[in-house]
Amino acid sequence: MKFSYNWLAEHIDGLTVPPAEIGKLITMKTAECEGVEAHGAHFEHVVVARVLTSEPIAGTHLAVTSVDTGRYGVKQVVCGAPNCRAGILTAYVPPGQLGVTTAKLRGVDSDGMLASAKELGISAEDEGIIEFAAGEPGAAIPGCTGDTIVEIDNKSLTHRPDLWGHHGMAREVAAIAGRPLKPIAVELPAGEPAVEIEIRDAKLCPRFSALRFENVTVQPSPLWLQQRLESVGLNPINNIVDVTNYLMAELAQPMHAYDAAKLQGGRIIVRVAEEGELCPALNGQTYTLDPGNLVIADAGGPVGIAGVIGGGPSAIGEGTTTILLEAANFHAASIRRASTKLKLRTDASMRFEKSQDPENTVRALARAKWLLEQVSPGIRLVGGLADVYYPLPAVAPISFDLVWMRRKLGKPDLTAAEVTAILTSLAFGVAEAEGRFTVTVPSWRATKDVSLKDDLVEEVGRMIGYGNLTPAPPLVPSVVPPLPPERTYLRGLRQLLTAQGYTEVYNYSFVNEAQAAELGLPIEDHVRVVNPIAQGQELLRTSLLPNIKRNINDNAREFESFRCFEIGREIHARGRELPEEIPHLAAVSFERHGDGAANLFELKRLAGTIAPGCTVEPAEARGFEHPNRAAIVILRNEAIGRLFEFHPSMVETGLAAVLDLDLTKVQALRTAAGKYQPLRRFPTSAFDVTVPVAERELAGNVLARLREGVGPLALDVRYLYDYKGDSGRSMSFRITLGAADRTLTGEEVTAVRSQVMSWMGL
Amino acid sequence: MIETQLSELAAATEARIAAVTTAEELEAIRVEVLGRKGRLAEVSKDMGKLSPEQRGVVGKLLNAAKQTLETALTARKTAFDEAALSARLEREWLDLTAPAAGAGLGSLHPLTQIQAEIEDLFVSLGFTVLDGPEVETEFNNFDALNIPPDHPARDMQDTFWLSNGHLLRTHTSPVQVRGMKKLGPPLRMIAPGRVFRNEEVDASHEHTFYQLEGMMVDKDVSVAHLIYFMKTLLSAIFKRDVTVRLRPGYFPFVEPGFELDIQCLICQGAGCPVCKQSGWVELLPCGLVHPNVLRLGGIDPEEYSGFAFGLGLTRLVMMRYAIDDIRQLQGGDLRFLTQFAF
Ligand SMILES: [Zn+2]
Repeated sequence: MKFSYNWLAEHIDGLTVPPAEIGKLITMKTAECEGVEAHGAHFEHVVVARVLTSEPIAGTHLAVTSVDTGRYGVKQVVCGAPNCRAGILTAYVPPGQLGVTTAKLRGVDSDGMLASAKELGISAEDEGIIEFAAGEPGAAIPGCTGDTIVEIDNKSLTHRPDLWGHHGMAREVAAIAGRPLKPIAVELPAGEPAVEIEIRDAKLCPRFSALRFENVTVQPSPLWLQQRLESVGLNPINNIVDVTNYLMAELAQPMHAYDAAKLQGGRIIVRVAEEGELCPALNGQTYTLDPGNLVIADAGGPVGIAGVIGGGPSAIGEGTTTILLEAANFHAASIRRASTKLKLRTDASMRFEKSQDPENTVRALARAKWLLEQVSPGIRLVGGLADVYYPLPAVAPISFDLVWMRRKLGKPDLTAAEVTAILTSLAFGVAEAEGRFTVTVPSWRATKDVSLKDDLVEEVGRMIGYGNLTPAPPLVPSVVPPLPPERTYLRGLRQLLTAQGYTEVYNYSFVNEAQAAELGLPIEDHVRVVNPIAQGQELLRTSLLPNIKRNINDNAREFESFRCFEIGREIHARGRELPEEIPHLAAVSFERHGDGAANLFELKRLAGTIAPGCTVEPAEARGFEHPNRAAIVILRNEAIGRLFEFHPSMVETGLAAVLDLDLTKVQALRTAAGKYQPLRRFPTSAFDVTVPVAERELAGNVLARLREGVGPLALDVRYLYDYKGDSGRSMSFRITLGAADRTLTGEEVTAVRSQVMSWMGL
Repeated sequence: MIETQLSELAAATEARIAAVTTAEELEAIRVEVLGRKGRLAEVSKDMGKLSPEQRGVVGKLLNAAKQTLETALTARKTAFDEAALSARLEREWLDLTAPAAGAGLGSLHPLTQIQAEIEDLFVSLGFTVLDGPEVETEFNNFDALNIPPDHPARDMQDTFWLSNGHLLRTHTSPVQVRGMKKLGPPLRMIAPGRVFRNEEVDASHEHTFYQLEGMMVDKDVSVAHLIYFMKTLLSAIFKRDVTVRLRPGYFPFVEPGFELDIQCLICQGAGCPVCKQSGWVELLPCGLVHPNVLRLGGIDPEEYSGFAFGLGLTRLVMMRYAIDDIRQLQGGDLRFLTQFAF
């Protein structure tokens, strides 16, 4: 929202804060200022000028003119405007202003420029150079002055309906500067309402006020009004529409002017739209409405979408001679819903959705009458105010103690007088006795913004200035905070992984359908994003693998080999319930060359460091896995994850193995700290066994069979090596024997050995 | 007779010992002459035939010869051992500038690092660390934070809505609600985590980023406490004394609400391009917890008050490492990520 310094200053008695400082003051006390810039500084230098002669330059659309500029003398200026002709009064911009320089155009010297209203920053009018009906060469452009525009971040005005207009912001600046705010008159002449108003739903429309005028002249607004609107980003249209926009920017009250001759019947009805009802709007679009929209209707149907946009057919045009001027109040949330649904955010809807003050409608109409009389000479009010008002429940006065306010702010020396002065300057009604305050809230702050004593802490705090509070350490008990074990675990795990050479990646929680389909993840198991704005955000990941696969292929182009991991959450849909979020580890070992075995055994080793005692068991490969290199990882008889190599078709170059662990399970199954085992006192004995095996026998199976057959004296059975020779494949194992209470005799060892040999059929 | 024999043997052996070229030859001589069945042993066997007087003389000679030869042998043996050792050491020359085999140190993601660092700081101040789900209920994400449906503040946070009727949390603030219910007052908690905003991604905008929510609820928590606390904390994070200021900011879940700025660390407040010449950098939103939020968390606002703040971890990481493209953080490019192995 843009604010004009001059406009603000008009509302404050004796404002002395210089324009350059106002942005910072507003930022520190009210709302965030995003920038301050000069507007129309050139009006100090631009003058009214009379075109004395104008001769076309052959072969061009340009003309060479001689111009009486008064202040700067007679100048030769080249001009391309179609309306440039001898005798007119226009605007002369001297070199040095608005980027104009002394130049040669088509070989003709041009000393300055004749300017359009757009070039002057008065309006969007750029059809030709501006023309004045009267004036003296050398005079300043009538009604136009240099100004300073302060831009305030709209987000920081979300809670302040009153700050969507200059008068409200002027109240803040006045309070900050310690100057009085000039009041705005609300008086209107008494008279019979010139129009009948029917509100069908008082919740959706608490108030609808209107005035009728006749003998209207529709014409361009005076330049001061055009420039002012232009300076705050509103386009001047015609005097009537400009008045409504001016008041919206001044009082935050959106208004609408109807061509009264085009309204049917003598009654305005505020009602919800019928399903499928059409409303042709000012912007040329026709909107199809439903009962979620509120409309302003006449006998013929909707003439406007309440709080959003006016209707097209009843818009003010050149032939308009009578107008109906509306200032109404609508239910904020409904306006917001309607404008979101219509995808139509207007200056009006933006204000109404902030909960505007219903008290404001008549103030705006009174001000409009005063303004219309200036910009449409001869205009006459017909009858009196039409006003249907269902007042909102009043906000109860807010009570608090000075002591409480001091404690909230942490300012023990805060005085009752300070609090009273601040709240009064912001138009709150204050009654105070012995530090007990009762505060009434002005109507423009009562719609949503201020209802609790805590809201007043902000009012007092910001006006005192938070920099004037003395920082103090909070007095809190010393306690050892309870820390969730999962965090500690995950942190340790990350350390363990990086210590072993794995680099951490973060991937998005999103995957797209193609990624899910490629890995055979059922689309219906995913939670779906209903409003993605970019591709690749349709689904929430039920596996880390789709994005990990992308990481592999991206990095395979850059590295001969790498190790990386991600710890992130799988998100599994559970109907309408919140989904299950399961922390997973996906670790990758990649090599561009080699047979891939090293990758898999590296990850198997890694699994053993994360889940000591885990085993792997071959598993049927999924489509994206190498058909002969996929296994489940088991800890205490429960599957905790999977070890596999990506199918060669999944990896553009090289070989990539992945360890995917369910960290909730790993944590649950980890060995708890147990009791110490005394060290063995007697020596152990060992012997090796070599077992001939089939070509694709699994070491794990042979080991398991041996373990079953070694008997109670065996302390350890260990795989030594695999041997492939002419006589086939064999595996060697070492069996270690021992007893807690004695050294085993040679006979005992031999007996176990023979027992093992016969168990294994050797 | 035997004396002559002995001295000749001793002299000849000494000469042979001096002449050997290998440790094996030396050992052969030792066995031949000094061994259990060697030539000196033979001589001593023959001593039995001698008279006691002669036996004394020959015995002395025998011992002397034995000692001389053993000394010579030991000297040569030591020489051979030393030569062998130094030859081995020479052979074992190694180029230690060659790279080590195996994997080097991996790196933690910079966000993990900064998160851990800040968590530790808070834990040392008595805060517990809580976790919340990435998928949240609309109620926890908005309503419980005093942002009812159709509240314009919902526009501040472009939301990813989900097919199950829920949403991806737009901030870590919902953990406030979970934390209040779980811990009860008084409490001190932080909740770091991943949050989502439905916006276009470019070098400075991400739809996925990391925040750290903090909350302290106790009797008599004031704005002055909040200022002190944030100044202490931020000085620890930036490892230097920072100057902070509060100005009004609107967030429905706090009242009053603030934007906290720190004095620009680049120019110390003098004005520079980083702070757009203002001398201040907007860092985080904070405020006193809104009484409605306390109430929804099961805490009586008449008895307790508190402050809350939201720290942008992604932003801190970018500031610390001068990262100019936010997309790097979730791009999975190891050329980027391996730079953070410290
Ligand atoms: Zn700076």
